[in-house]
Amino acid sequence: MALPRTPFLRHPGAVAGALILIAILLMAIFAGILFPGDPWRMVARPNLPPFSPGHLFGTDMLGRDLAAGIAHGAQVTLLIALAVTLLAVAFGTAIGAVAGYFGGWVDDVAMRFTEFFQTIPSFLLTVVIVAIVAPSLASIILAIAIVSWPQIARLVRAEVLSLVNQDFVRAARVGGLSTARIIWGHILPNVLSPVIVAASLMTATVILIESGISFLGLGNREFVSWGYLLGTGRTAFRVNWWLSTIPGLAIFLTVLSLNLVGDGLNHWLNPRNSNRGGRA
Amino acid sequence: MIRHTGGLIFRALSTLLIVLVIAFFITRIAYRNPAAMLAPRNASQQAIDAIAHALRLNEPWYLQLWYYLYRGPDIQGAPMGIAHWPPALGYSFRKQTPVTDLILSKVPVTLSLALGAVVIWMTLSILLGVIAARRQGSWLDRLISGFAYASLSVPTFLSGILISYFLFFQLSNHGVFWFPSSGYVPLTKDPFEWARHLALPWLTLALAEIGIFQQLIRASMLEVLGEDYIRTARAKGVPEWRVYYDHALKAALNPVITLGGLELAVIMGGAIVTETIFGLDGVGRLAINSALEGDFPVVIGTTIFAAASFVFCTFAVDITTRWRDPASLS
Repeated sequence: MALPRTPFLRHPGAVAGALILIAILLMAIFAGILFPGDPWRMVARPNLPPFSPGHLFGTDMLGRDLAAGIAHGAQVTLLIALAVTLLAVAFGTAIGAVAGYFGGWVDDVAMRFTEFFQTIPSFLLTVVIVAIVAPSLASIILAIAIVSWPQIARLVRAEVLSLVNQDFVRAARVGGLSTARIIWGHILPNVLSPVIVAASLMTATVILIESGISFLGLGNREFVSWGYLLGTGRTAFRVNWWLSTIPGLAIFLTVLSLNLVGDGLNHWLNPRNSNRGGRA
Repeated sequence: MIRHTGGLIFRALSTLLIVLVIAFFITRIAYRNPAAMLAPRNASQQAIDAIAHALRLNEPWYLQLWYYLYRGPDIQGAPMGIAHWPPALGYSFRKQTPVTDLILSKVPVTLSLALGAVVIWMTLSILLGVIAARRQGSWLDRLISGFAYASLSVPTFLSGILISYFLFFQLSNHGVFWFPSSGYVPLTKDPFEWARHLALPWLTLALAEIGIFQQLIRASMLEVLGEDYIRTARAKGVPEWRVYYDHALKAALNPVITLGGLELAVIMGGAIVTETIFGLDGVGRLAINSALEGDFPVVIGTTIFAAASFVFCTFAVDITTRWRDPASLS
């Protein structure tokens, strides 16, 4: 993948998004050092407001430090988002590449299969799956990945279709390369940039879905994620509003920065395809 | 046109049938021991076995699928399956009612929620989208774009909680009882109360959608405004507001209608979070509650309902775009 010459720094929104994202990542990585020990232990008086000394985000009704919860929750939320995105991109790319490269009935079957998953609203399907099976970390990741891969598959298929008859692919075929090598070594590198953009936007959606599940009380109670913090704080909203608002803002900031970075990447990597802005 | 429509209907029905089969298998694989979930908490093994037997949960999967398709998963009573006339979705395991009746009783809530939200977000996005396109690059455009990004990224559970806190709780604390916190009043009973009860959920849903639609309308308008016929209209002396709201907007609406249909379908399938926050007893709540209770005929039924609204909405989008632009028929 050849990178564009104009620097990425030309997109101020994307740079701001990237900075926020890096800050959140650092917070997640160093959560254990910043807030050592179990984030769920009681450390202070209950219901301390935000900006209390030593407890930046205040405490909950049991006197647990919300800032520690946010930092440790970032680990869970980001881990799930990353795992889902990797799984969905891998599976979606495989299906899309095979469908686009072989065409014909393979394409028909693969695309009808993809269509069924797109017919059912993704959030509903995830929630139903998580509600049915026991919510472990793996089942939540799998359930969200099941509803997320189709968009990648469609994208990759469309890109592969536009490449499959180009001269360099024909040359590779005439040269006697194996199908797997042509797809892996010659076609997929050219599909990479739209997939990166889609993946970064997908990570944002995954975070929203995961926190929605936890918010509904269907998540795994052993792992403190942002959505879980928000959901448990909700019942006490009238007493201490910050318990749900601060995790909510953390989710909002992360999703916002992912959206900004995704759009920036899109402008940067595919300047001609990006349809925002248009011509005047 | 007739051939085209016939093909679409056939495709839609076959899609729904396969969704049904996939939903059947997902529920079958996922529920390890549905009879135990259905039984009272400390039921004996015999009682659990009796439930499994009565609901035919011990039969091999192909027989269960057949019972589901033909009879509905129920041993007594008239056949209630999808492969029977009139087609139905079987009986609920928990509540002794047909699944179709159960879903239909929730549809008015979900439909009111969806339609009201669509009207609000479409009106606002068109307004904001056209303004942003007119003033492209200005501070106003940037302000609206910033708002659009925020709307794209704000989770409905956050906006919903904040809306209900400020517009219900704080207002009522100050003696202003404009909006109730939850509940649903049928439109036929009292239209004013209906709108009053749904105003906050509508706002919550609309707020989440405005961002993407505003950006879409803006981009689509900017593309259309460069076309020759717009220049012609301007040269003819058509007033500027008519150029924007009449000539350009009409052409720019196609992608908006397509995406609008999809988003409407998603809400019809169940706006679970919004329904939960505002205590609305809609299709989404039904789906999640029955999934938790192990009532899988209802789970399959709500999944089919969601898929059917998706198919119906894409169908409606297809018809609308064709009707708006007959040239695309050929």
